[in-house]
Parts: sequence; structure tokens; C-alpha cells
Amino acid sequence: MNKTTDDTAALEPRIHDYLKHRLPQANDLELRDVQRIAVGWSHETWLFDLHYSEEGRPKHLGLCLRRDPGNALLRHLSDLEQQFRVLKCLEQTPLPTPKPYWFEHDVAILDAPFLVMEKVPGACPSPWGREGRAFYAAAATRGQLPASFTATLATLHTLDWRAAGLDFLGVPAPGTDFVRREIAKWRELIALSTPKPEPILTDLICWLEDNMPATERVTLVHGAYRTGNLLIHGDRISAVLDWELQVLGDPMYDVAYVLSDLNREGTPLLSNLVERDAFFRTYEAATGFVIDEARCRYYNALYAMRSVAFWMSASGLYASGRSNDIRLARTAWSVPVVLERAARDLGY
Amino acid sequence: MTEGDLLQRIAQTLKQDIGPAVDAEYPKTQAFMAGVVLHKLGQQLALAPQHQRDQAAELAALIVELNDMLQTIEVPAELRRTLAEFAQRRDQVTLCSLIEALYGTRAALDAVIFARLLGRIRETLRADINRRVVYAS
Repeated sequence: MNKTTDDTAALEPRIHDYLKHRLPQANDLELRDVQRIAVGWSHETWLFDLHYSEEGRPKHLGLCLRRDPGNALLRHLSDLEQQFRVLKCLEQTPLPTPKPYWFEHDVAILDAPFLVMEKVPGACPSPWGREGRAFYAAAATRGQLPASFTATLATLHTLDWRAAGLDFLGVPAPGTDFVRREIAKWRELIALSTPKPEPILTDLICWLEDNMPATERVTLVHGAYRTGNLLIHGDRISAVLDWELQVLGDPMYDVAYVLSDLNREGTPLLSNLVERDAFFRTYEAATGFVIDEARCRYYNALYAMRSVAFWMSASGLYASGRSNDIRLARTAWSVPVVLERAARDLGY
Repeated sequence: MTEGDLLQRIAQTLKQDIGPAVDAEYPKTQAFMAGVVLHKLGQQLALAPQHQRDQAAELAALIVELNDMLQTIEVPAELRRTLAEFAQRRDQVTLCSLIEALYGTRAALDAVIFARLLGRIRETLRADINRRVVYAS
């Protein structure tokens, strides 16, 4: 069961004390506009403004605190410390990401490990809601945001991950190693959730293993690049968020996610935002890569396996009593929906 | 009232009466989601007897047809063994094993035979998933 408290008011003085310790030169420290966001399945997140004075001068720092509730979905695949490390590496690159400040293991401070990073200006409208869809539809007509969406992905795929120190994520060997690792990762997550047997999933995994493409080039791959995981400010991507599924591998893995109709709601616009032709043109020109649609179709099938792994894991968290969030119980019925889609992708 | 109908009634109460009466966002979402879960569970339970009958008939037909196909052709012993096990137990675990054995012995099979066997199995899988999405989606 969730070990941490949802009581933001009780947490505030402890965050205050922690920041006082971290910023010993700061006087009159005050937390303002503390907001808990994303009462979600992943890490708990608070946004706030820190006001203080230093040598008599008023200062202000917008901060974001993410805490591990001890039962987050995918937590064994990507913990907060890894997120912190990735953000540290990305700090030196042209990719817009929040500046990471501190990571703390010590559960005595806030009951659980947490990280503190910059609160980047911007908003993150959900593409699944009516308001979010309207926001992206309007932005699509203006043109700057779709261009920024594509350019930011191109930046992500062309940054020098070795120079950034991201090789700790695991460098795949040439050939099919990247795909093999992904399949193994999602197989492991499925096994952890002690699932009931699913013959379509077995067929899907066997097909994926039978048809593994060789990776032509290795780049940083975000793993969930779509609207809803990107912060937007003034019709530009101000930060790429949700560093939980990143990996070194085939950039087409991200491109397939962008092309997928999973990430758009009743619109031909990719990720509810970008025209397909414009995405191809801009991405290929910016990266020098040619989008391989056959490979993207393969990765789409791999995403079906990943989705099944997510939903099995999520419903398993509820079933096992490690979470009391009923939204997780609901995901048990998402498994057949994804499997039906996978069967169609496999041609039946 | 059947168990399925009872769950549907409770789901309706949660969505129409309890959820709207809750002010705080998180418990309100939980009440609504509990209604969604019970609604799906109710549908699943109500359809279960018919779905089980259909599934049993389809698995029986699959076994007959796969055995017919394998009668006249040479296939690896592993494939015959998993088919025999599936024919005996007629469950999802042994169906998964049969699929794995089919892919695992693919190199030893003629491509047309492989496609025919897999195609026939997939026919059964499609019928099953069509039934499940009725209450899942």
C-alpha cells in the first residue's frame, strides 16, 4: 500500500526545512503556490515557488518536487535516481529539459526518495480531454508548435549521447540487440505481474522475436514522445518531460510512437498536433534520417506488447494490494482491448 | 436478480448518486472508477456462460482441424506433443504452449504449412478476443 502521505499541508514544513538546509545562505524562506499535480500512477509531483532573500536581495526559484510513493507503475524500470541522472546529463545538451537540483535517498527527509528540479514555465494540456484537444487543434493551425514538436524530437535524436554521458543507460550491440533488450524488458514486467495466460500475447511476442529488425543507428530514445509529456510555453516546447522509459536505441522507436494512432483522438494529426507530411519532411530534413515505415510498423507491434505489460502491471498493483487506486483495477480491461488491436496489426 | 445485474445496479449508484455527492477530486474519481469497474465486471459475468460455451466449442473444433491437418504431414515431435497436451487440457496455458511450439519449430516446417496452422489458431484467437472486447472496451 502507498507508504507516503497525500497531505500536502503536512509536507510543506518538511520541504521548507529541507530547502533551508540546502540553501543555508537563504533567509526568510517561504513556499508559495504549492500545488500537488498528477495524483497519478507514477511519481507524486508538487510544484511551488520558493521566495527568499540573500544578502538582502529578494530571490525567487520555481521548483518541482517528485517523490517515489513506493508503488509507482514501472518504478523498478526507472527510479527517480535514474531520472535525476538522465536530467543531469541532458543539462549540457540543446534539448529543453528541467534543470535538476537535488536527489535524496534518505527517507527520513520526506518519507521516501525524491528529487527537486526546476519548474519550467509552461503548461502540459492533456491530449485526452476536450480542452486539451481544442488546445492542440488551435495550435496546429498556428503552425509554430507542430514545428517545435518535430524539431525537438530531431534534437533529441541527434544529440551526442556519448558526450552527454548517457551510455550508463546501456549501449546496444549492433544488430538486433536493442529490440531483443526491449522485448526482454517487457517480458520481465509481464512476468512480474503474474498474469493469466494470453494466447494472443504469446503469438505477438513470438512474432516480434521472429521479425526483429537490426538497428541501423543508436540515438537517445525518449520512449513516450507525445503531447501530454511535453511542456508548452508560447507555442514552443519548453521542456521534454517524463524521463521514465528512455533508452539508447533506434530513433524509429520514437518515430513509430509519434506515427501511432494510439496517440491521437479522432484526428489525422500526429499526436493531435502535427500533419503527417510536414512531420516526415521536417524530421527527415533536421536529422538526415529517412523514416522507415516498415520498421515503425514493427515498433507499433512492440508498443502493443509494452502496453499489455503496463496494463498487466498496473492491474496487478491493485490486485496484490500494493495500491488502493481503483483506476489501476480498471486497466485489467485494457489488456483485451490492446490485444484485439495487436491481432489486427498481425493481420487477423 | 443475477450477480451481473446486481453489479450493474451498484455501478449505476456509484456513478449517478455517490460520485456526484463527493466533493474532493480524488475520492470522486475513485467512486466514478469503481462504477466503471463494476459495470464491466457485471457485463463480463452476465456474458460468461455463453462465452464459455462458445469458447469450448471453438477449442474443440480447433483441435479436430489441427489434428486433421497434421495427419498427412511430417511435423516435429515437439509440435505433436504440445497439440496432444492442448487437446487433453483445452485451456489457455496449453494453447500458449502450442503457439510457442509452432513458432519454435517453424524452421522445420514448410512455410505454407506453418501459415495454415497459425492461421487456423488465429481464427480461434480472433473469435475469443471479439467476445472479450464486448465488455472490455
